[in-house]
Amino acid sequence: MHKLTAVQTVLQNPIRWLAYLFFMLALLFALVAGIKGDVFFFRLATEALIFGGLALSVDLLLGRTGLLPLGQALFFGFGAYVSALVLKNGIPSFWLAMAAVLITSTVAGLVAGVIAIRAKGVYFALISFGLAQVVSKVVFNTRSLGASDGIIGVPVPQISFGFFSIDAASPGGFFMLVLLFIGLLYAGLAYLMDTPFGRQLAAIKANEHRVPFLGVDPWRYKLAAFVLAANVAALSGAFYPMLRGFVSPELMFFQVSGNAIINVIVGGTGTLIGALYGSAILTLLRSVIGSFTAHHQIVIGVIFMVSVVFFPKGLIGYLVEAIQRRRPKKKAL
Amino acid sequence: MAEMLEWLQFVLAPQVINGASIGVAVVLMALGLTIIFGLLDVINMAHGEFYAIGAYAAVALLGVGVPFWWALVLTPLLMAVMGYACERTLIQRVFHSKERHTLTLLLTFGLAIILEDALKIIFGANPLRLEAPITGASEVLGLFFPNYRLFVMALGSLVIASVWVVVFRTRLGAMVRAAAYDRHMAASLGVPVNVVYAGTFAFGVALAGLAGVLLAPIYSVFPTMGRDFVLIAFSVVIIGGMGSIKGAVIAGLVLTQIQSISSLYISPVWGDPLLFGIMVLVLMWRPQGLFGRLGHA
Repeated sequence: MHKLTAVQTVLQNPIRWLAYLFFMLALLFALVAGIKGDVFFFRLATEALIFGGLALSVDLLLGRTGLLPLGQALFFGFGAYVSALVLKNGIPSFWLAMAAVLITSTVAGLVAGVIAIRAKGVYFALISFGLAQVVSKVVFNTRSLGASDGIIGVPVPQISFGFFSIDAASPGGFFMLVLLFIGLLYAGLAYLMDTPFGRQLAAIKANEHRVPFLGVDPWRYKLAAFVLAANVAALSGAFYPMLRGFVSPELMFFQVSGNAIINVIVGGTGTLIGALYGSAILTLLRSVIGSFTAHHQIVIGVIFMVSVVFFPKGLIGYLVEAIQRRRPKKKAL
Repeated sequence: MAEMLEWLQFVLAPQVINGASIGVAVVLMALGLTIIFGLLDVINMAHGEFYAIGAYAAVALLGVGVPFWWALVLTPLLMAVMGYACERTLIQRVFHSKERHTLTLLLTFGLAIILEDALKIIFGANPLRLEAPITGASEVLGLFFPNYRLFVMALGSLVIASVWVVVFRTRLGAMVRAAAYDRHMAASLGVPVNVVYAGTFAFGVALAGLAGVLLAPIYSVFPTMGRDFVLIAFSVVIIGGMGSIKGAVIAGLVLTQIQSISSLYISPVWGDPLLFGIMVLVLMWRPQGLFGRLGHA
């Protein structure tokens, strides 16, 4: 057994190394931005990570379970509202807010999942779309939730880790915290996909009708994936009011769900890390193009369509293929 | 008893008739969506944008001096050309992929983003007005209704009836239904399947464009005007059954009536949540919608 060279290790599991690369680049960015004392790009990168968490949840459903969620922003906005309500009206504690989001999003995910999972294929896509529309309109018209204004003036929490604490108002500190959380969510999901649970999801995605013959009820696995995706989306959304100080019903609108899907497709469906890459690249792009013209959507739309038609595996899928093509053929023994 | 009659005449009837004029336009939109899905399996996410383009095309044509009646005929024709081109250049690219449902949905979603922004660039984001070509009002059941709304209802009903006749009573319609039922069998029997597909997509887009022109004088014209409207059309199609013509007509008329009459009792802002609530309930009860799919029933 000879030792593998660095190149060979990368070749063996390119997605994992692209994931390491992502977090290395994020840390490098934090280092540079921290030295320069930057605020704008820290905030932008934090937002990219937060929406990356939403994209991660979309990829869990779309890329790993074969369900296209057209209304995943529902849970993102749900998490943001719960977090804002806890911080503003309850105790401004980060951990309490996160715990509340985790519990309530599990319940919300179960309720929505029981409704949505019944429908198959495009019907699932449309019912998740409809659910998000109903809830966002209800929030939009509910005065006690701030109606169309949303909830403003959410206090900035101190995030205590026992022996030290991070102020959510500090751009660098909060970025590192969000990076840690999104990193944990990613690592957790990536690990889960290698467990029997993840394999069942893959089987359901490949052919749902055959799965029952293996003695497995696909409904339960789909529901579990749906609730898990709701948790991931809601926990990511929970960071939003801490970053921006407000939440609004727009967070649940189709635009947000649609952008998450675009991020996943451009980044690479089914790779999980592609969702984060896609989010990071497109958030930066939206901001850069947005500083030149108000019509950045048209550019994003063209990139998205080109991606769907010519690079259906997305950036990461394309890179992985390119890396694997360089892999030397196995020698016969 | 007299009170009851007065309520019927002065409270309920106006809502029913106003609801019906919107309902006819919703059915036109829903018909386009449902025919496209029934035949091509494509969820056309850009349908609302095609509706908006129809309205803008009318604004542009009127702007260069074309009379409204000509615009009413020209716009659907132009939209059909556009739809045909879209199907040939975009949908066909991913049509034979295994994940056709998802890919075509994503593709039309991307198209919607581009079209909406293009409208903003060309016409600006501010709402435009279009003068109604028919003015005045007529008396119906002792009440006055704008002539234009009555015209929309009449023309819309005529178009809906002709769609039904064409699809179910002509040779062309039989080809479309055959292609929807089994494309390979239809192709081997000499149906030009590719032309039928592109033609159907073009026809659905033209219907959306027609709805856009018809409603432009009633509502104002703005780039995102299709968004809320297409949501109603989507719920109609889902409730009626994706791909069902009968379902689109019945669900379209019933749902707009529910929305219209419910606005007597609840604030109109709850109309959409009510509609979606009904949609979710129907889907839980019958996930495939109320009626069967085109070519299958």
